[in-house]
Amino acid sequence: MSTEDGPGLRTTVFLKGCPLACTWCHNPESIEPRSHVEWKGVLCMGCGICAKVCPKHGITFDEDGVHTADFCEACGTCTRECPTQALELKGVNYTVDDLYATVIKDRAFWGKDGGITMSGGEATLQWEDVLAFFKKCKADGVHTALDTCGFNRRDVYEQLLPYTDIFLYDLKLFDDAEHVKYTGQSNKIIFENFEWLAGTDARIWVRTPIIPGATDTDENIKGLAGIVRDRVEKWELCSFNNLCVDKYERLGKEWDFKGKGLIAKARMEELTALAQASGSPIAFWSGATALEN
Amino acid sequence: MAVKYENAIKLPGDLSPRSKWLRDYYFEGLNRKWNNEYTAYTTGTPWDLQFDEMTYYIVPENHTFLSTFGSTFRQLAQVVPMPDGFWDKSLVERKADFLKEVMVNQVPMEIIPGDLLCGARFNVFTSMCLTEAEQKERDRLVKEARKSMKWIFQHGYGNGGATSGHLVPGYQKIVDHGFKAEYERYEAMYNELSEADKNGQHGAQLRAMMTSCTIPKELSEKFSMYCKQCADKVDDPVRKEELLKMAENTAKVPWNGATNFWEAVQSLWMTHMLVMSDENYPGPGVSFGRIDQYLYPYYKKSIEDGMSEDFMKDILGCMWFHCNSAYDGYIKVGGNQGITAGYGQLLTISGMGKDGQDMTNDLTYLILDVIDDWSPILEPKPNVRLHKGSPEKLLDKVVDMISKSQGAPFLLNFDERSMAGMLREARFYGDLINEDNVCEYAPVGCLENTMVGNDRSGTVDNNINLLKAMELVYGNGKDMEPYEDIMGGKPTKLTQDGPKTGELKDLDTWEKFFDAYKKQTEYLIKKFVDNYELSEAIRAKYNPTPYLSCLVGGCAEKGLDVTQGGAEIGFVTMEGVTFASTVDSLLAVKYLVYDKKECTLEELVQALYDNWEGHDVLQAKAKNRAPKYGRDDDEADELAREVMEFWSDETWKYETKSTHRRFRPGMLSWNYWVGGSYVMKASANGRANPQFLSNAICPSNGADINGPTSNANSVGKALGGKVDGNGDWTEYVNYLPNGASHTITFNTSLIRDPTHKEKFKSFLHGYIENGGTALQINILDPDVLREAQAHPQDYRHLLVRITGYNAYFVSIGRELQDEIIARESHMGY
Repeated sequence: MSTEDGPGLRTTVFLKGCPLACTWCHNPESIEPRSHVEWKGVLCMGCGICAKVCPKHGITFDEDGVHTADFCEACGTCTRECPTQALELKGVNYTVDDLYATVIKDRAFWGKDGGITMSGGEATLQWEDVLAFFKKCKADGVHTALDTCGFNRRDVYEQLLPYTDIFLYDLKLFDDAEHVKYTGQSNKIIFENFEWLAGTDARIWVRTPIIPGATDTDENIKGLAGIVRDRVEKWELCSFNNLCVDKYERLGKEWDFKGKGLIAKARMEELTALAQASGSPIAFWSGATALEN
Repeated sequence: MAVKYENAIKLPGDLSPRSKWLRDYYFEGLNRKWNNEYTAYTTGTPWDLQFDEMTYYIVPENHTFLSTFGSTFRQLAQVVPMPDGFWDKSLVERKADFLKEVMVNQVPMEIIPGDLLCGARFNVFTSMCLTEAEQKERDRLVKEARKSMKWIFQHGYGNGGATSGHLVPGYQKIVDHGFKAEYERYEAMYNELSEADKNGQHGAQLRAMMTSCTIPKELSEKFSMYCKQCADKVDDPVRKEELLKMAENTAKVPWNGATNFWEAVQSLWMTHMLVMSDENYPGPGVSFGRIDQYLYPYYKKSIEDGMSEDFMKDILGCMWFHCNSAYDGYIKVGGNQGITAGYGQLLTISGMGKDGQDMTNDLTYLILDVIDDWSPILEPKPNVRLHKGSPEKLLDKVVDMISKSQGAPFLLNFDERSMAGMLREARFYGDLINEDNVCEYAPVGCLENTMVGNDRSGTVDNNINLLKAMELVYGNGKDMEPYEDIMGGKPTKLTQDGPKTGELKDLDTWEKFFDAYKKQTEYLIKKFVDNYELSEAIRAKYNPTPYLSCLVGGCAEKGLDVTQGGAEIGFVTMEGVTFASTVDSLLAVKYLVYDKKECTLEELVQALYDNWEGHDVLQAKAKNRAPKYGRDDDEADELAREVMEFWSDETWKYETKSTHRRFRPGMLSWNYWVGGSYVMKASANGRANPQFLSNAICPSNGADINGPTSNANSVGKALGGKVDGNGDWTEYVNYLPNGASHTITFNTSLIRDPTHKEKFKSFLHGYIENGGTALQINILDPDVLREAQAHPQDYRHLLVRITGYNAYFVSIGRELQDEIIARESHMGY
């Protein structure tokens, strides 16, 4: 049950794999396209069964917890045997039909506005399956939303367009060099795709993560406002949150934003006003801000 | 960082000065000048008894004090002299005469300052009016009933006993036509009786009911005179006029039919209050039914006459005050609100009409306002009926009220699923429940669905611990351990209580195990039926309630008191407790022993004997790897449905011998799942003693890891789901006509703004389609989050949401958890 991934009450499917690697990514487990094993320390009972059963002897177990080796192929042996499900296989294979059968059980709850959201990672990396899935949805009258970073071939979006009721489109950084620095890719294709999509009759909600020290500058918001303007239904400035710091720890990665606090409410209001004044009256902000005493 | 919890607690709304005064006065508790504490009355015979312990058999907290209560009230009782000839009358007539004398002449007459309704003191203990021989015989029988009741409780089977209340009396006929019409009806029936019948039970019952009809008449007439006296002493012209109007009201109702809103509520309150007096029990699920429907004509009339809605809210506010004074019964024992919070004077609003149309009206919204303004408060307990055609305006109001409270100020009842259950039970009572009138059903107590004005279905009388059948399988029909009396310290011997269903080593297939479970369940249900018969037969013979019988259709016609099965529709409900614990334990046995062969059945049972100590890995597998009910997993939910079908079919097989009431299934479970967790050994689903058992139809705590939609889908499936063209009501199936208690906890952020309230409405629409009969909604509070920090395993389902991102609360780090708790307290998004 998802309330944050598009209109109405929705069921969201997260697909693995992303062409970008935003340093602030909140779903870091979804960047890597292959399945992987994740360890949740809070659930672990320390039985050590995982280390014993791993066919590749790739699990070490010490006072810091469970570590999987780089050569782990996510065969699923340890996650099957783990008594507490502290080890979880991230990335499960579904056929389009099986996935559809699973999500459609929630249909009664979607109401007139809700439906299914394909998110990620970047859902369009598996665009052929998404297309097949969306066609199935539309044949059945199910509302479809595509959450995308915009980084894919134009023809992929052209094919998806007739079966997508709403695009949740991310625009992050206006300056291309900054975009490369923080996401690993140029924003050129993303902006070109946006220009094209905004010219169609597609329903679009734009989302911009407001990340301290990265996307939260006046220049960036002004620049993006010039692109977004009033050509879409909504432009949401999502205040940075640090909920995912544990996910990075679980993945054994260091997160660049670990020490950053939340943005002040006044700053979010300021940025929103700036966006509105810079040609995008539809801008608004959401999310958590720093606590004020 | 300062955390202000009080900001998160709902406060009462914008009450009028009168209502505010009454509400504040109520919460002064022991400091009040007036209260509704019990008074006791006796015929003066040395053997007399007032306290009926059987009605407390289902309240295990009271078991130790049954004799104490009995002798306390006996000692406190004032002697009420009865006229000559009293002892020559039938018992039911003696009861009616005695209650009349007490209520009309003995109980002090008072009006609370600012009150708009007459009738205040109703908590009384009245004499059983038995002769010495009768009382002796009753005492002997009660001893047996108590022994049986204690045995089933001590051995972890649950509890059971003939209990008062739990019905919707025929209030509408009194509000509309008055007791006079009833009196005349009984008189005419009486005159039609043969001489033999006049001198027999039927005649006695009718005479007692005629006397009972005159109790509200004479009491109200006395109040009318008293109001006039008070008016004389009052200088304030406004109050004087109010008192004079109250004198007029009470001169008229409830003997006559009401003609406006004020009279109607006065009639309703007086009629209702006397039921509690008649039964000697405050607020035991004596419920109002569809109050916004039968009071609507009077609302409309008074609006036309120029009465303001604000004044109507005050009239209802006075009723709210009086309903809560039920708790004054034991006020000196339990502080401001008495010893318990568990009474249930339920009122029902909205819902479907005969042709599927929605019945919401202006009075529905007025009552919702009163509920909102008075909450948080315990009584009356409101229940809002929803269905596919419920209007958006109502849903908006409901969601808005939920968003302002921690626990919703009302329960939601779902018509389609509920009506399916009522039609499932219809087959036992001819055409009394049918497709045209089933929409008139109303819940009583908490959520127990019944018909109205002619139905007593004993909705809390049997609370059966379904999980006990598993223990009996493990013990081959014996308890797992001998019962030890904590007070006396005497151990007992293990006895062959249930059938021998096989040594563990012989249960070598799942089919054999499941069959053994079924056989022990059959035994368990039979044991409850036999236990219930004891107290039911005693009540039928010795404890008539002729006043209540006037409000229950069938009693006059059959010449039987409501305690003797006089109601046209009379079920006894078997409330299944620990359903999910049972289903999950069966699933775990199947998974661990038979499917995955992780251990033998003997090894698993040994782990339960050891309370899982030294079996960590097996326990973890039972908890985390075995399938669970509540996740929309079709295989697990199918077993849940099978278990449900089996135990409910078994329940339908029985009828009481003394009163011919058919047993029917339901799931309420009050607070028994908490107490029972201490009595029950560890269970195969990974639960150690004394972790809590599951509650009613809810999935086990922490098992519903796939979120509220999956949780609701599973509940709907366990109740029978939907069958195209072949349901009990349209496509809906419902094995549990009584209904099933379902609680879901949501995060406050889920309904933080109008957009999200819309989303929450979608959830409710989905619940109407796929869910159960009734839903209690909790909005998360910081204490719950703290509890989740301390016991993450039990809260794995708890989703924390901040825009654009979601996480399971227990899977994020401590500091972030702390931050979220602080945010929840502030609602600071």
